[in-house]
Amino acid sequence: MPATSPTDGNPGDTGDPLAGLHDALLAWLPTQRWFPAKGRVVAGLRTVSHAVVSAPGETPTVEHAVIGVSFADAADTGGSTEERYQLVLGVQASPPADVEYAVIGRRGEDVVYDGLADGRISRLFLSLITENATRGPLRFVAEPDTEAPIVGPGRPLIGEQSNSSVIYGERAIMKLFRRATAGLNPDLELHRALGRQGSHEVAPLLGAIEGEIDGEPMTVAMLQTYASNSADGWSMAAASVRDLLAEADLRADEVGGDFAGEAHRIGKTVAAVHLELAAALGTHPLDARGASEIEEWMLERLDRAAAAVPGVAEQREAIAAVLRGVSAAEPSTLQRIHGDLHLGQELRTPTGWLVIDFEGEPSKSLADRVRPDSPMRDVAAMLRSFDYAAFHQLSEWEQSADDPDPQLERRAQEWADRNRSAFCDGYAEATGTDPRESPELLRAYELDKAVYEVLYETRNRPSWVSIPLRSMRRLLTPAGRGER
Amino acid sequence: MNEGVSASAIAAAPSDEDHVRDVTEDHGASAVEEPSADDFRHARTLPVDDEWYKRAVFYEVLVRAFADSNRDGFGDLSGLTDKLDYLAWLGVDCIWLPPFYDSPLRDGGYDIRDYRKVLPEFGTVADFVELLDQAHARGIRVITDLVMNHTSDQHHWFQESRRDPDGPYGDFYVWSDDDTRYSDARIIFVDTESSNWTYDSVRGQFYWHRFFSHQPDLNFDNPAVCEAMIDALRFWLDLGIDGFRLDAVPYLYERDGTNGENLSETHAFLKRCRKVVDDEYPGRVLLAEANQWPADVVEYFGDAEVGGDECHMAFHFPLMPRIFMAVRRESRFPISEILAQTPAIPERAQWGIFLRNHDELTLEMVTDDERDYMYAEYAKDPRMKANIGIRRRLAPLLENDRNQLELFTALLLSLPGSPVLYYGDEIGMGDNIWLGDRDGVRSPMQWTPDRNAGFSTCDPGRLNLPIIMDPVYGYQAVNVEAQSNSTASLLHWNRRMIDIRKQHPAFGLGNFHELGGSNPSVLAYVREHVDADGFRDLVLCVNNMSRFPQPVELDLIAWKDCVPTELTGGVPFPAIGELPYLLTLPGHGFYWFAIHEAEER
Repeated sequence: MPATSPTDGNPGDTGDPLAGLHDALLAWLPTQRWFPAKGRVVAGLRTVSHAVVSAPGETPTVEHAVIGVSFADAADTGGSTEERYQLVLGVQASPPADVEYAVIGRRGEDVVYDGLADGRISRLFLSLITENATRGPLRFVAEPDTEAPIVGPGRPLIGEQSNSSVIYGERAIMKLFRRATAGLNPDLELHRALGRQGSHEVAPLLGAIEGEIDGEPMTVAMLQTYASNSADGWSMAAASVRDLLAEADLRADEVGGDFAGEAHRIGKTVAAVHLELAAALGTHPLDARGASEIEEWMLERLDRAAAAVPGVAEQREAIAAVLRGVSAAEPSTLQRIHGDLHLGQELRTPTGWLVIDFEGEPSKSLADRVRPDSPMRDVAAMLRSFDYAAFHQLSEWEQSADDPDPQLERRAQEWADRNRSAFCDGYAEATGTDPRESPELLRAYELDKAVYEVLYETRNRPSWVSIPLRSMRRLLTPAGRGER
Repeated sequence: MNEGVSASAIAAAPSDEDHVRDVTEDHGASAVEEPSADDFRHARTLPVDDEWYKRAVFYEVLVRAFADSNRDGFGDLSGLTDKLDYLAWLGVDCIWLPPFYDSPLRDGGYDIRDYRKVLPEFGTVADFVELLDQAHARGIRVITDLVMNHTSDQHHWFQESRRDPDGPYGDFYVWSDDDTRYSDARIIFVDTESSNWTYDSVRGQFYWHRFFSHQPDLNFDNPAVCEAMIDALRFWLDLGIDGFRLDAVPYLYERDGTNGENLSETHAFLKRCRKVVDDEYPGRVLLAEANQWPADVVEYFGDAEVGGDECHMAFHFPLMPRIFMAVRRESRFPISEILAQTPAIPERAQWGIFLRNHDELTLEMVTDDERDYMYAEYAKDPRMKANIGIRRRLAPLLENDRNQLELFTALLLSLPGSPVLYYGDEIGMGDNIWLGDRDGVRSPMQWTPDRNAGFSTCDPGRLNLPIIMDPVYGYQAVNVEAQSNSTASLLHWNRRMIDIRKQHPAFGLGNFHELGGSNPSVLAYVREHVDADGFRDLVLCVNNMSRFPQPVELDLIAWKDCVPTELTGGVPFPAIGELPYLLTLPGHGFYWFAIHEAEER
């Protein structure tokens, strides 16, 4: 990859203000949740870009940097040897005690630390956004026609996976995208588009920070309304499943913790997002060429999974036959979609459900993530998520993994069927189109997702692999055709 | 709420002989002499306190079912007076009595025959003054229901009105030559009434009634009616009563082209009643009974600019079924949702909240889906349903699960509003679903394991309603005496919780802020009140809606370095730090913590 950064990363280069920090960063990065350290060997680190954001005389000094990290296991990342991450750094000779946990290292007299931990820095960013300021290469942009948030210090959100956020007193949340990628981040792009459609299904966008990389624009961060007092759909579904499995004989529709009402509302919410995205960014007919492109992409993914998982390889032909259902399907349309939907991407608030995190599937390239696709991909992803919710607790209730309890399995399946069906009902109610009326397309997308899950679980969570394998088998038998 | 379709066991109570004579023989007299408050002793009064109703724990007593002093099988006012020490011991601040006025009892007493007379079975006005006096001596206030919208058709005003259209009462009711006016007003009791108009053969005209045809609506367009009603209020206020729950207030006026509910004329009249209370009887309260959505009910608090100038209190109806739903669903959202939809109320206003009362568990304020769900979960036997609701007591609704009983009570005592307890629920009394209508939840109070549960020494056959006798909830197992003797009893637990509530003004006066948190099964909120001296009272309440143990991480960073102190035992918990505060709760468990600011420790 050509380096177009102002500094070239040579540790001996005195022009790199982070040069002396590279070892400290190499020690610090693997302790960060957003850094994909698991099973990866870091081969090297360089500074891709660096800029001072704070004005002269402001304390602390605030710096923005993009670093490139190369991994020894490059073959696994599809040929790219380097991944790039954004840092916001606070620099001060003696920083306050409450950022001590975020210290990265020292540079001369100064302590360098993760800037998001410092309330003064998050306050500065918020006020720069409300002022539409430009600092160095960073442009702070308030979303037009939104209420300016009250400026105050933020505090870091704990427990996040791939990005880092700070929360401003339950009013607003700013998300720093850790992966530095050229182009407009679809999370910002789609929130902006949905906000301008007046969507009630997303947390309103309040602003953004934009920068540059490789001479192209890059999304640094986005600011949106904070959905306080919310809980994610996965936790709620898990509570419902637990309530069911704890009963000896009650059916899914008889237990108090029935989730079908919520599943119905989630269906309506996802449908509304699809309608709004279509209205904002348009639709295209899915023609034969488009369908075969989608199939090709699915088949590629199938072959990667088959190469790694014997259980997939054995069924390769049967799976491929289902995936080819995309071409066989009735004419349909393509549009911008969420792309990585699951119950954890939906937040229950006291006024309804919100959909969050429109970044798309993290393993895909930006070009793939912004490519129009069938809304059925999102619908299928939700159906998969209901399966996961239903079956992931079985291991807690079963005597042992080798001795599955058919009664429990049947009840989990009942929960999945009931909620998948309620979700489709809700979706159909809002769009007028029942996803179950396109069984080939839906089944192809669902199986594509299940194959991907089998590969993912085999690599990351072997104890969960039985969940997508079970679904794969169901989707390959005629009884699994369509939704009940 | 009005009593609904009543097939009450005592519907055929004897009428009042004196009244019949007043009405039928006194043809010459135009106006009937009303008794005056000065004809009676007045009860001692309590010091004026403008906020007592915000801090108070209310207790609803059915006089008929509480204690019988004269062995006639009916509870009475003197019997209740004898039990005031018990209520004082429990920590009750205010007793709410459903109507005890003279009535033919065709609608459980909500059909008033004489506003200034006590139902003979209950006693006399003098007995009531004695109750009031003794209650006040113990610091307990008393409020009662007043039905302003209509009277019984046996009220002498109605008898005069039908007999003499040109007499002083001729215009006291809403008469019409035909039954076509106000056709946009819905019929409330669709099971028994086909029209809001009924023809009266004596007067030869139709009369208007929003409820039963034996309950003609008063004509508030007639200034004399307004005066007569305000004088009825004054009568009881002069005797010393602490306030009224105004029944069926949305319906006072009728206007063509409207549904006849919540009209501006109705609000104007309520403002007038409030002014009388504020000017002449400071410290007394008006409580609106309006079974409507909170956004509509707030209208009955009046103008927020002046802190509220209609009713001081109103019941929050939709909250109660949602507490049940939240626990059944193991999700906080049914409660979070309704509280988020509840608008702010004026400075001097307060919600009344309850788990159960003498009516069925009202399901009017839930959606159809939710109603089906509630029936399925809480009324597995069709006999448990009544009108649009479920007629069970709290303990049987919760399958007598002590953990749930405690969780529900903790919610009642800590959510925003003044809690209203229902007699007997403090000991976990049961119900009798085989009794007609809502009598199943109105059985006699269980005082002792002795004859008639200590309610009455009459022949058991004379009892107004049978005592509960099943093996789980029967009076030999569940009674005040036995529970008084065991500090581990539900009764003692309730008393302790009421006591804790009283030590923290935040519960009654504080604002409410829901904390959210990562676990959807956990409902967490803070109540905060700063008094005139700047003393801050802050209480954190954490409730587990699930039957399974749950962890929750709460964002308490606003109280960094503070130490939460658990309120039932005073145990200090770890200080709040930078990270989310981790708590683990047992199934259906809850915590109340006081949070003291760091510098005050």
